[in-house]
Amino acid sequence: MAFFTWLQHTPFSMWIVGSESVWAYPTILTAHTVGLAILVGAATLIDLRILGVASDVPVSQFERLYRFVWIGFYINLVSGLLLFASEAADKAGQPIFLVKLALVFAALIVTVYMRSEAFRGVIAAAPTKRARMMAMSSLTLWAGAITAGRLMAYFKNGTAP
Amino acid sequence: MNDMVTWLAGTWVSSHLRDLKWLWPTCETLHFVGLSLLVGGAGLFDLRLMGWMRQVSVKSLKAFMPFAIAGFAINLITGVIFFIVSPAQYAFSIVWYTKLLFIVIAGLNAMLFETTLGTRVLTLGPDEDTPLSFKLVGAVSLFSWFAVLYCGRMLPYLGTGN
Repeated sequence: MAFFTWLQHTPFSMWIVGSESVWAYPTILTAHTVGLAILVGAATLIDLRILGVASDVPVSQFERLYRFVWIGFYINLVSGLLLFASEAADKAGQPIFLVKLALVFAALIVTVYMRSEAFRGVIAAAPTKRARMMAMSSLTLWAGAITAGRLMAYFKNGTAP
Repeated sequence: MNDMVTWLAGTWVSSHLRDLKWLWPTCETLHFVGLSLLVGGAGLFDLRLMGWMRQVSVKSLKAFMPFAIAGFAINLITGVIFFIVSPAQYAFSIVWYTKLLFIVIAGLNAMLFETTLGTRVLTLGPDEDTPLSFKLVGAVSLFSWFAVLYCGRMLPYLGTGN
C-alpha cells in the first residue's frame, strides 16, 4: 500500500490528475476509450463470426482481427497504467476496480484461448460447440469489463452512486 | 437557446429521469457497449472498402451491419436521454456540436455510398481491390466515427473555458 501511495504522489502522477492541460487526464482517458473501441470491437467481430454471423466467409479470414485485439489491448494497458498511477492508492483498494481487472483478465484469456480452439489445427467447416461457448463467454466478459470500468466513476471509496 | 434549455430541464420528464440515480450510469455503460458495436461493425466494413481483407467480399461483410446499426440505435437513445436529463451540459458545448457534425458527415457519407456505389459493391468479388471512390468513403467513415468518439469523451474537458 505504501508503494501505491508513493506512486500516486510522484510528480508525474500529480501532473496527470492536477494539470489543467487537456493533454493530461482527459487525453489519457480518451486514449483508453479509443483502445476499448478497437479491442472490444475486434473481439466482438471474431465472436460474432464464430457464432454464425457472415457464415459464408471462412472463419480463418477473421484470425487477422486478432491484430486489432492486441493493438487495442496495448493502448489500454499503457493508458490504464497511467490512469492507475494517478490514483493508485485510491484505486488499489476499490473493489469495483479489482472486479474490472478480473473481468478484463478473464475476457482476454478466453479470447486468446478461443484462437487456438477456432483457428488452429484442422479447421472444421463450422466452429465447434466449445468455440461457440467461448465466443459467448468472450462477449459477456467484455461487456462485464465495460460495465465495471464505467461504474468505477460511481463507486468511489465503496459508496453506491 | 437559454430558454429552450431552461424549459427542457424543468419539464416533468427531465426532472423525473434525473431522480433515477441508476439511469445515468446505466446509459453510460450502454453507450460504451454501443460504441464498441458501432466502431467494430462499421470499422471492419470501412477497412474493407479501403482495400483491407480483400479475400472477403464486401457483400459478405454486410452481415455485420445490423450490429453496427444496433450500436448506433443504442447510442442515439442513450444520447437523447443524456440530453433530456442534462441539456445545459450539451447545448452550450461547441464540442457537442462538433460531435453532431461528424455524426451527420458519417451519415451522409453512408447514404451517398448506399445510393451511388452500393449496387457496384455487390458485384465486387473476393480478391478484388476497391476503386478510389470506395477507399475515400471508407476513410471518411472511419475518421468520422473516431472523431465522434473523441468529441464525446473529451466533451466534459474541452471548450469549458480552461
